[in-house]
Amino acid sequence: MIQGLVQIFIFQALGELLSKFALPFIPGPVIGLVLLLAFLSLRGHVPAAIDLVGSNILQHLGLLFIPASVGVVLYLPILKANAWTIASALVVSVLATIAVTAGILKALAKKD
Amino acid sequence: MQANLPPISEIWVYLSGSPLLALVLTLSAYLLGLMLYERSDRNPLANPVLIAVILVTLSINVLDMPYAKYFEGAQFVHFLLGTATVSLAIPIYKGFASLKGRMGILTLSLIVGGSTSIFTAVGMARWLGVDESLVHGLVAKSVTAPIAMGIAERVQASPTLTAIFAVSTGILGAVLGRYVLDALKITAWWQRGFALGVAAHGIGTSRAFSVHPEAGAYASLGMGLHGILGAVLIPYAVAWWF
Repeated sequence: MIQGLVQIFIFQALGELLSKFALPFIPGPVIGLVLLLAFLSLRGHVPAAIDLVGSNILQHLGLLFIPASVGVVLYLPILKANAWTIASALVVSVLATIAVTAGILKALAKKD
Repeated sequence: MQANLPPISEIWVYLSGSPLLALVLTLSAYLLGLMLYERSDRNPLANPVLIAVILVTLSINVLDMPYAKYFEGAQFVHFLLGTATVSLAIPIYKGFASLKGRMGILTLSLIVGGSTSIFTAVGMARWLGVDESLVHGLVAKSVTAPIAMGIAERVQASPTLTAIFAVSTGILGAVLGRYVLDALKITAWWQRGFALGVAAHGIGTSRAFSVHPEAGAYASLGMGLHGILGAVLIPYAVAWWF
């Protein structure tokens, strides 16, 4: 388990370094993601140690954004004042996104 | 014996000074959320993150603990977001295996779909007169939350609002997605899954997995690719449009 964690941390650290010194417009972890993706493609499979740790972390992805989300307490008054309008914008937007994405796929897919 | 125990207020001061309290709060709220989610037969409305955020928010209110103090302790959990983002390479890599030469149309639909997400959300919000300080938080809301929060920092939006809008979007997409897809007569699992992943990231993806494995694989691919492309392109879209 530690082995997989260290490997993922190394990709994360490489990503942070590249983001800091070479590609400041892309967040470090995303560069780390792309590097790990390239590494997996080169290897041709997901090494068991990385799979174990990565899949475990992703399974509880939701847990990781609780601390930031609790910051919602600071925005409660302004969110309350805009509750209905913001909810409508979110609903319309997600429905439109699903419709457009799936619609394009359906229109362009070869019949199979 | 009583005399040897420190007064309760001292225990309290000690506990709230260490990260332990915030960590225990966060983890146990999440466990409770997970439990309720399983009890509800994985109903997307009983989202464990949503439940946990409500529980923690109520708790720190009752304990009179300022958010900054809470975050100081909970940052150890927050730190792992970057690690989780890197780990997203695993489902993306596995998703590639089921591609069957569809990369071109998937990328195209992702770019158009992702743009639709930003323009409809920001456009609607401005049209309805939503407070401008909230509008920026909408920009990255269809991107998976860990990456969305990184994008938010880069476009001077609040990571908190972005996370809240991302979670809400995920829930809405997971609950309402099937009705849109049925109305448009989209029947192929890979098309339904990919659209859910693009629009409703992780929450949509777990919904897709619970319906069909092929839908799930394509949903994680949609979520992952949206994360990568979004991180690169959204800051430009914002610089150009705002």
